Amino acid sequence: MNALGAKGRVEKLRRPRRDGELVVLGVSHHSAPVELRERITVAPEHVGAAALRMRETLRAREVVVLSTCNRLEVIAITELADPLEAFANELSRSHDLPRLGLDHHLYLHRGRAALRHLFRVASSLDSMVLGEPQILGQIKKQFRQAAAAAAAAGGLKRCFDRAFRVGKRVRTETAIGQLGVSVASTAVELATRIFDDLAEKTVMLVGAGEMAELAARHFRRAGAHGLIVVNRSFERAVELSRVFGGTPVPLERIEPYLHMADIVVGSVGGAGWILGPAHFTEALRLRRRRPMFLIDLGVPRNFDPAVNELEGVYLYDMDDLDRVAQEHREQRSGEARKAEVIVEEEVERYFRQLSDGEVTPTIVALRDKAERIRQAEVERALHSLPDADEASRAVLDAMSNAIVNKLLHGPLVALKELAREEAAVVEEAAEMVRRLFALEGETPLLPTALVEGEDDEGG
Amino acid sequence: MEALLLDLALGAYLIATLAAGVTLLQPNLKATRLGVLALVAGFMLGSVVLLVRSLRLGALVLSGGAEQVALFSWLVVGIYLVVQLRSRLAALAGLVGPIGFIGALAALGSSEQPVDVPELLRSPWLPVHITLAVVGDAAFALAGLVSAIYLWQERQLKARATGKALARLPSLETLDRLSFRLLAWGFLTLTLSIMAGALWAELAHGRMLNWEPRTIWTVVVWLVYALLLHGRASVGWGGRRAARLTIVGFCVLAVSLVGVRLLAPGSHSGAYG
Repeated sequence: MNALGAKGRVEKLRRPRRDGELVVLGVSHHSAPVELRERITVAPEHVGAAALRMRETLRAREVVVLSTCNRLEVIAITELADPLEAFANELSRSHDLPRLGLDHHLYLHRGRAALRHLFRVASSLDSMVLGEPQILGQIKKQFRQAAAAAAAAGGLKRCFDRAFRVGKRVRTETAIGQLGVSVASTAVELATRIFDDLAEKTVMLVGAGEMAELAARHFRRAGAHGLIVVNRSFERAVELSRVFGGTPVPLERIEPYLHMADIVVGSVGGAGWILGPAHFTEALRLRRRRPMFLIDLGVPRNFDPAVNELEGVYLYDMDDLDRVAQEHREQRSGEARKAEVIVEEEVERYFRQLSDGEVTPTIVALRDKAERIRQAEVERALHSLPDADEASRAVLDAMSNAIVNKLLHGPLVALKELAREEAAVVEEAAEMVRRLFALEGETPLLPTALVEGEDDEGG
Repeated sequence: MEALLLDLALGAYLIATLAAGVTLLQPNLKATRLGVLALVAGFMLGSVVLLVRSLRLGALVLSGGAEQVALFSWLVVGIYLVVQLRSRLAALAGLVGPIGFIGALAALGSSEQPVDVPELLRSPWLPVHITLAVVGDAAFALAGLVSAIYLWQERQLKARATGKALARLPSLETLDRLSFRLLAWGFLTLTLSIMAGALWAELAHGRMLNWEPRTIWTVVVWLVYALLLHGRASVGWGGRRAARLTIVGFCVLAVSLVGVRLLAPGSHSGAYG
């Protein structure tokens, strides 16, 4: 090994490695109600610009902003001690939200947990509809936008490339994508068993709360076009109609509209039965007995259960939907488990490759240090022995070499074997070795190694 | 040669049935495709046999029960394949496969009996009459099958039951519409067949109608389907009621096809009936 190369490596070890850490900051359907989520959406075409802004806010090296219906996430490599605080401040400022209490709806993952989260999102394990297929494409597109805006580069690219691979692997190796799971998507799925083409169907929302909105979104995504929003508060009906492009109707005027609806979603809270067999008998007559699909999400229920006795009426309440969804979930929980295993494997693999990178410098540093000590001591010994001939020098050299090699043999072999261990063990052991031998390097911070190319500058 | 082709057809229908069964239990695109391809293969083989026999005979092969069963199931498979082109109905392949199988089996059984066709029956109107009748019967049979699937799917949905197989079935609306179309086509061909038959009877016997049991039953069948179609088209019958009536209609038809042939003699029950 030439002295220069060794020196360069030692230098690198000494340099503080805290270039930043991989973090995921976000707000999603797991953490926040739809009222909040819908206020902080970023239009998908603006994620590049948003990433640049976030890079500023988080004083980050690289940032990717991910925006879908159910989540806004910032994936960054940052040195900031409290990125959540900065994130919350920025959200509050830019979206005009009260800062107080906002933290409760946000989450932060760091390092390994951040990478796992990214993998889970890419595999749609974190989605509202487990196994939904769009998420991977969305992430790809938005990463490219961040990269194009120069907000993301090599470090995040490695994470994202791997996330894409994990997402694809989960999709091909498990059957997770075959059925929708959530209650709303179950309702849509049931509708497709009754109706041929949802595009020609009209959905009536009775009640305009969060569940209604969720249902509307799912049915819209499935292609349903017509929408009638019935609500006690007419203003809210108008508001929701505007969002989805529907017709607002006040609750007391529902009857003349009922027969136009193929799918009726009831979600009025605390109202009791709003519609009974008489209403639907009349509606069925007017619509010439074409079938009607009723989804009762109200608590207490909105439709008289006797309605299900009518021919051509299919009534499902919350429990029915949940049971159907549950069956699917059970059918597929095996698939979800398989997918989680894949994610875990990939996280492990990613960090193992990094830990190879951690062990090697430790080995090199240890050898280098021993070599330097040996050379210095040989030098000193020769100073005290000015008359030593070539043969004596050689003996001295060989002896010191043998001592060093024999002494280091155990630790070096152990370190090499260590590289096969789990990342956390490697981290710990490598640090122990550094401390025992006073190698002076900082404790390696795993995600720093995500920053590509940086280490090659040679200090 | 024919026997070999029919053996191959039997194999193809068997594969189709198995593949459809697999698809129903565990949704599987490859099995679905294989099933449909096997049906196509079975249908092609059947067509070749039918052509060869008819050429050898110099007339359409319709010389008796087994041959008619063969022709009937050949047509059911054919109509199913046409339907499959437009709407994805892989679930039905599991029922069509066995029908094709039985048809090929019947053809195999009757393969060694070239029938001498009486001069009287050599009128071109007779094969037209019989072919149209069998096409109509096949369409009605498929309509009945579709309606049966409709009723099953409907009951599951009402009961809020779920199952893997259910997810692979077409929607109620699709089934309902398909059943209606098959009924309409069946009715059209049945009507034309009756007209051709009457024409032939007029030419052969000098009488449009001979009031034998089969003729009477056919009129009953025609009336049942006319009523059903009228109900669907103008009264707005649909869904469960229409599906049930479609199945009832097919039962009446089956009685006229099988029962009358076995129990009551007449010009329709002979070697050419």
